[in-house]
Amino acid sequence: MAILEVEHLNKSFERTEVLKDISFSLEKGRVLSIIGSSGSGKTTLLRCLNFLERPDSGSIRVNGEVLFDTSDPVTTQESEIRKKRLHFGLVFQSFNLFPQYTALENVMLAKELLAKGQPEYKQQKREMLARIEEEGKMLLGQMGLSDRMHNYPHQLSGGQCQRVAIARALALKPDILCFDEPTSALDPELTGEVLKVIRGLADQETTMIIVTHEMAFARDVSSQVIFMDDGRILEQGTPAEVIGNPSEERTRQFLARFTQG
Amino acid sequence: MELIAEQFPIVIQSLNIGFIQTLKLFFVTLLGAVPLGLIISFGSMSRFRPLSFLTRIIVWIIRGTPLMIQLLIIYYFPGLVLNNPIWGGGESGRFLAASVAFVFNYACYFSEIYRGGIQGVPRGQEEAGLVLGMTKSQIFFKVTLLQMIKRIVPPMSNEVITLVKDTSLARIIALQEIIWAGQAFLKGSQGISGAIWPLFFTAVYYLIFNGILTVLLGRLEKKLDYFR
Amino acid sequence: MKRKILSVLLCAAFAVSMMSGCGSDTGADSGSNAGAQGGASSESDMAYVQDKGTLVVGITNFEPMDYKDESGEWVGFDADMARAFAESLGVEVEFVEIDWDNKVLELEGQSIDCVWNGMTLTDEVTSAMECTRAYLNNAQVVVVPSDVADQYQDTDSLSELNFAVEAGSAGEAEVSALGLNYTAVTAQADALMEVAGGTCDAAVIDSLMAAAMIGEGTSYEDLTYTVSLNSEEYGVGFRKGSDLAEELNQFFADSYADGSMQECAEKYGVQAALIEQ
Repeated sequence: MAILEVEHLNKSFERTEVLKDISFSLEKGRVLSIIGSSGSGKTTLLRCLNFLERPDSGSIRVNGEVLFDTSDPVTTQESEIRKKRLHFGLVFQSFNLFPQYTALENVMLAKELLAKGQPEYKQQKREMLARIEEEGKMLLGQMGLSDRMHNYPHQLSGGQCQRVAIARALALKPDILCFDEPTSALDPELTGEVLKVIRGLADQETTMIIVTHEMAFARDVSSQVIFMDDGRILEQGTPAEVIGNPSEERTRQFLARFTQG
Repeated sequence: MELIAEQFPIVIQSLNIGFIQTLKLFFVTLLGAVPLGLIISFGSMSRFRPLSFLTRIIVWIIRGTPLMIQLLIIYYFPGLVLNNPIWGGGESGRFLAASVAFVFNYACYFSEIYRGGIQGVPRGQEEAGLVLGMTKSQIFFKVTLLQMIKRIVPPMSNEVITLVKDTSLARIIALQEIIWAGQAFLKGSQGISGAIWPLFFTAVYYLIFNGILTVLLGRLEKKLDYFR
Repeated sequence: MKRKILSVLLCAAFAVSMMSGCGSDTGADSGSNAGAQGGASSESDMAYVQDKGTLVVGITNFEPMDYKDESGEWVGFDADMARAFAESLGVEVEFVEIDWDNKVLELEGQSIDCVWNGMTLTDEVTSAMECTRAYLNNAQVVVVPSDVADQYQDTDSLSELNFAVEAGSAGEAEVSALGLNYTAVTAQADALMEVAGGTCDAAVIDSLMAAAMIGEGTSYEDLTYTVSLNSEEYGVGFRKGSDLAEELNQFFADSYADGSMQECAEKYGVQAALIEQ
């Protein structure tokens, strides 16, 4: 069964339609890449999945559970949204690390705050915090940042920051991890280290949605590719289909720019 | 020189008394205006349009008129127009009226600094908090607040030092702060008259106190230097 | 919230009208208007003062009229007489230092009950306040550095000088009537400072003050006073329409009759200037 099912999602800002009838599904453990020129609605789609934007209509289901459905008003209530967000993780283009915390603290913060809300926190405070810290260290180790745990974001390179941000998103064990152009803000020589980490996650069968301009990477790592244009899904299928042998003229034009450049 | 040496102890004692009034007004203003400013800044950023509009109008009026006029209005208006001199004529009433005027005036200035500080924190910080499942208040206290404080410390330091000097405006409603005390020796007080130096000497008090404040605020700024 | 705005606007409007009132030349209109708004005209001011139990006297530090002795008590010819007057009314006396520029405001705002501080009875003063009869003579005198004093012994010799005078004082009225060049400063003492510092050639101040503050044995040993520009008289001011002015006239008459007023004047060296009551 699909872990994520999105149906008939629409979203407008003022009078501009940004998402037009978006439907797709994603299997557990698979990687979906979304490609398309800027302004095509890729980022808005990710933000809708993370409830940073509110879709005007449509539904979102995770593991069969309806998270959001405009035909069922109960699911769109503001108070419910915070918990639903935890199904998704989001890695931003500009990292958005908290500058006043070290790498490790960035990874631990949300987990700590969640733990504080739990009834057993009072009695088992020390154990719980120790576990969170251990998990945080492990995640950073996995990202190759064991020696950078106690550095502040401004002491880290862009690639290191993005890896901390990935660890931070993973700490909450989301069902689906989303990436919004994770390497666009990085110098070319730093993109490799981030892509390597994402590839590692794919190998561990982490369910991911990646908005990216790295065509070679998308082709290589994903099991499914969506090409978006002007708020619509123009084409979707396997990388071999969409990137290797696109059926739409518009897709070919878009891809041509990458092969030439 | 000999004359000054003779006058010195009397003058210093009197200036000290005046300076205590100055300090009292300074600290009362700071204690009142720092939290009130935060409330006003939330008002002006409110998504409830009428509230934010009215708050901004009030801030505009308070920042757009001289503090001296505000002091005159707050002190004299109740007795003159409402026929109810609520402050009384004594020193404590004058101090209270001055405190109200200063707290309100400075809260409006602080609110604008806070607003700039809050709005200056990148939107991505709040969004990062949201996608990590944090509540709005957790985001404010754990993420935004410290970044905002870091942003506002330099402009706040400026305002605080201006406040020290602005307290002298309260003499318009005859609050006897240090400049008043210094000037008294010009007109004649405690057997000393026509002495000019006490008035000039008050500058030393301001200078030393502002020096201490500058050092303390500089330390705070440095303390927040660990992140960017 | 709406009311808040309204009251703020009201305050602003009021401030504007207040400013224009102060700026007008005669001051007569603004004074009486303020009086009509104040409470004094509607009921007896004496009853109001007796009811609250204190007579609040607005003063400035002005030797020998009102000043502090070593123990910090207000003394002086005016202070002592005010204390005796309050006693005759059966109320406490409270001295409050005010900004002289704001004396009418303080009165009408009811933060003080009278201005009793060697106040010259000018047209401005008598039209803005309910004043007593004059009780002390004074003159406006020209103060110059001692070494050039002999060049300035009559009014005609003053035309080349730059004067410093207290803003709104009787001295300012005199120099402007004579068409002399002058700078207005905030206090009489500041005017002396201007002369001592050489930023002005001469000052015009009260003779009583000049006697106390300049010449040998004072901080202004190098200054002296020459020409008297006019003679004038001191009185006490109450709120417009107050019945306390007449009450104080009576008190002055009684004190003069029993000799206590003369005694008090001698104590502060102003007996020569005292006016018969």
